[in-house]
Amino acid sequence: MSIYLDNAATSYPKPLSVYQAVEHVLKEVGGSPGRASHRQAREASAIVEAARKKVALLFGIGNAERVSFTKNATESINLVLKGWLEPGDRVVVSGIEHNAVIRPLRRLSGDGVQVEIVPCGTDGQLELETFEKSLDKPCRLAVLTHASNVNGALQPIAEVARICSDRDIPLLLDAAQTGGIQTIMADQWNLGMLACSGHKSLLGPSGVGILYVREDLSVKPLIEGGTGSRSEEDFQPDFCPDCYESGTPNLLGIAGLAAGIDFIDEKGMTSMLQHELSLASRLERGLMVLPGIKVYQPGVRGTSTVSFTSEGLNPADLGYLLDQGFDIAVRTGLHCAPLAHRTLGTFPEGTVRVSPGVFTTLEEIDQFLHAIETLISRRL
Amino acid sequence: MDQSPDRPATQKAVSVPVRVYEREGCLERSQLVVNEQPVTLYLNQREMVTLLCAGNHLDELAVGFLHGEGFLQNLADLEEVLVDASAGKVEVTARGSSSLAENLWQKRTITSGCGKGSLFYYAIDSLLSRPVESSVTLSSQQLRERLEDLNRMSETYRQTHGVHNTALATPEDIMLFRDDIGRHNAVDMIVGYSFLHGISLEDKLLITTGRLTSEILIKAAKVGIPVLISRNTATSLAVELANSLNITLIGFARAGKFTVYSGAERIVG
Repeated sequence: MSIYLDNAATSYPKPLSVYQAVEHVLKEVGGSPGRASHRQAREASAIVEAARKKVALLFGIGNAERVSFTKNATESINLVLKGWLEPGDRVVVSGIEHNAVIRPLRRLSGDGVQVEIVPCGTDGQLELETFEKSLDKPCRLAVLTHASNVNGALQPIAEVARICSDRDIPLLLDAAQTGGIQTIMADQWNLGMLACSGHKSLLGPSGVGILYVREDLSVKPLIEGGTGSRSEEDFQPDFCPDCYESGTPNLLGIAGLAAGIDFIDEKGMTSMLQHELSLASRLERGLMVLPGIKVYQPGVRGTSTVSFTSEGLNPADLGYLLDQGFDIAVRTGLHCAPLAHRTLGTFPEGTVRVSPGVFTTLEEIDQFLHAIETLISRRL
Repeated sequence: MDQSPDRPATQKAVSVPVRVYEREGCLERSQLVVNEQPVTLYLNQREMVTLLCAGNHLDELAVGFLHGEGFLQNLADLEEVLVDASAGKVEVTARGSSSLAENLWQKRTITSGCGKGSLFYYAIDSLLSRPVESSVTLSSQQLRERLEDLNRMSETYRQTHGVHNTALATPEDIMLFRDDIGRHNAVDMIVGYSFLHGISLEDKLLITTGRLTSEILIKAAKVGIPVLISRNTATSLAVELANSLNITLIGFARAGKFTVYSGAERIVG
């Protein structure tokens, strides 16, 4: 029986209702949202708009129209960075960011955008005072990942948001790892923008991302095209969500995402978080007593993601041995976050990342720990 | 020094008629060539692999091979080794067959490209190889002497030029000599002999006439041999692995000279 512990990459399995919602849309709805007045198109539109409202409600966004659906969190982040920053602008980011933030910024820095990276501690926590100080100089945008995709370190978002808000600096929150498992209050925190994926803790299918842009911020779209609105005009609509939703949206993914959010509402995010944190705690405790194992514990844990290394065994080897020897799925290496690994001191080999999900059981964690114990003892 | 244990060995060289062409013309004569035969290894009646070898020390070859692949970890688990050289098969019976070794058998390591990948290409090798902890040292003079010892033992090589010679040694003496058409086979025989006789390898040298490739290095690392010496060259992956696994790798060891690729701290004086 296989054990899936790679939920930080994408959650698996999904709730049954997610599969059913996708199948229903594919078989029974079939229309293109916002593109016609026939019943199927209207039904498709209703599915998208209902999903938009669910996302807004979940993330504390009063105006659901400011929520757009993208391909993934990476696209949402790219859209903000490339649609907001201009040559000469200065942007401040944390030292634990994902390549979804760092790579577009490296490209933009070639166009004259100044990028300042505020270091995090070796536990992955943002140095708040240094961050605050970095905003003394003119700054057009601050970017922060809510929780690390490498070790689950949760950043003090309320404080960071207040600091940014006090200085009238828009904050882009990368909630790819926390959306659906941690409380997010976009309006209350006065977030400038928010990016999230739909297929991790929101439990939807892959291929759907979420973007929120505050009403007073004019962020240029990444792509232009048909939106099903103001089609008589040659120019892209300037209102949300249409300005960011060119082309036929991923109706199947959006329907599945809505079902995922319903599941979270039904189950209760607090109890899901408690379950996942208890799994992480068992993982950490179980790993830390094993000889030669180093766990990269966060100062404040926000998700179930646990990273570790084993003396004398490359993470890539260990991951493959778990897969082939025990049918256990984990992720190894740099997790598309080399900056985070430099911060944690695990570059370039990276770590073995174990990320249980809402359906993971304590028994599965124990089986995983037994497998690790067997492998590091080299007992065959 | 064990050169030929007390059991009938397959004839190492056979005479074949040949025609030799020289500038002055050609002549018909007979020439010795090394014996080559396929030998199939079975573990608990399951066919594991067919090796091409010279046909000698087949029990050691089988045990060394299976030990290196993780199927035999303890001598106490070994129940029987039946060699049928004429049929080209060795049947090994062992207790406690490992499901993990079965699962990993001949599995090519796959890495994602996200992070520095593995140096190993077989999963079992990444598990069984670990940095070698050894305080053994040797002098340049000892190294030269052991190479001369090895050269003196290579009778089949002198007759046929068709085998690789391999020896297990201490800095002071050659302990065991094996030769075969495959340099891997000769190393497996040494590993097998050591396993069967409970010889600790952490303070030994492995001297071979073959190239120092990653396969040879990994075979040595899996049993904890700290020093590998060859009259031949080393490959890039072998050097990288040797550095990573704390193994002293010495090549081009001939005519009184040698080249140290890694672990030079074990050469003293």
